[in-house]
Amino acid sequence: MDLQTEAVKDLWKDVDRLGDLLHCFNCSTCLSGCPASYGDPPLLVRNLARKVLYGLEEELFEEDTPWACVSCSKCEEMCPMDVKPFELILHIRQWQSTNDETRVPPSITEIYRRGYTQAVATNDELRAELGLKPLPTINKNEEQLKLFQEMLMKTPVVAANDYMFG
Amino acid sequence: MEFCLFLGCNTPAVRPDVERAIRATMEELGVDLIDTDNYVCCPAFGSFPSTDEESWLATSGWNLSLAEEKQRDILVQCGSCYSSLRMGREHLMHDKKMQKRINELLEPTGRSVQGGSKIRHVTEVLYREITPAKIAEKVTHSLEGLHGIVQYPCHTLFPSEVVGFEDSPREPKGMRELVEALGATVDSYSLERQCCGGAGGFMKSTPEQAIQFAKNKFDAILEETKADFIAVSCITCLMHMENVQNTINKQIGEEKYKIPVFDYNQLLALCMGKDPKEVSAITNMPRDAIHDHIAKVAA
Repeated sequence: MDLQTEAVKDLWKDVDRLGDLLHCFNCSTCLSGCPASYGDPPLLVRNLARKVLYGLEEELFEEDTPWACVSCSKCEEMCPMDVKPFELILHIRQWQSTNDETRVPPSITEIYRRGYTQAVATNDELRAELGLKPLPTINKNEEQLKLFQEMLMKTPVVAANDYMFG
Repeated sequence: MEFCLFLGCNTPAVRPDVERAIRATMEELGVDLIDTDNYVCCPAFGSFPSTDEESWLATSGWNLSLAEEKQRDILVQCGSCYSSLRMGREHLMHDKKMQKRINELLEPTGRSVQGGSKIRHVTEVLYREITPAKIAEKVTHSLEGLHGIVQYPCHTLFPSEVVGFEDSPREPKGMRELVEALGATVDSYSLERQCCGGAGGFMKSTPEQAIQFAKNKFDAILEETKADFIAVSCITCLMHMENVQNTINKQIGEEKYKIPVFDYNQLLALCMGKDPKEVSAITNMPRDAIHDHIAKVAA
């Protein structure tokens, strides 16, 4: 992408098309109780909101902190302006991985390949010991897995990075 | 009562004894669980929800459509699965244009998503539908004499406007009452409602601080409670709260943090007299003291 040195006034439209963010008045309530705000560097949702609103595209592009979020959604509970800070974090990640393929999480290739991020249904012996039947998972059903993959192939991230899904 | 059981990935792959406990207990409480054939990743927040709305919601839509076909709500234990599926459904219901697009993507697979199936957490069903009083009647092997603490799954509390099965997310009671129904004394402590910190990228991206964050919680537990066990109801809380105790012990060179962590349905299963070798078999933190205590009280 073409990074600009000056502020990009409409950056918020690229990041958060819903515009919930425009209601943020920088009160920092989103930080109270945020586990990742204890990190180093800390995840400071309020600062991310400012970067988006001020159009600081380059700075936002380099931010690793949105990926430290634990998804607990306490910020959504606390925010008095209904900005939906957790959704903002997801939107920033989406904006980053759409504009920078190195941000695309490798876990999506696992989901594409076998339906899950973990090796589900490869432990039938252990399951039997515990009195459990094998699970009817998609990695045991070629036809369904193919339909799932064909569906994903039409979505933006898979279509744009198809070399990852060979 | 009948639900589609959505197990996610960690429970069936890493801790299937938790799955065994859920199946064994719910069935005995009159809740039938149907397998969600060909389900896929919920999807985890660090995957498609972090790349674009279409791949996220197509994956959510795939899962939702499986339950809609069977005309059942979805039952979940994993906090992340619960939250991702619930948010996916909500986005689809509130954005008709997006729902239309996702149904275009689903159409060649023979599926569609209309929103007919809701997402229910296992503690919600236990607390609100079964009720602690009925659970207490089913206890044959009590936790009497033991102290426990509870870890609320964040994803079942926030945002309360859309999750909302507790009377107050600031003063949740469900897990506490469910554990008390098993005969244990539930202690309170100052950091009771602090997140375990185990989900997402916190531990991966900034481990030193994430471990300290957890250590603060465990120090409060040791100083302020007589906890013999921790009850959770989220696979991430379960795995993280065990692992992080071992990690801290290694760092300090002594076995200071060794409180066994149980999924609630595992405790429930033990209290219904189920075999620990099936329902409480896999752990990184010895549980023998609790298993022995339950056997002794029952005898």
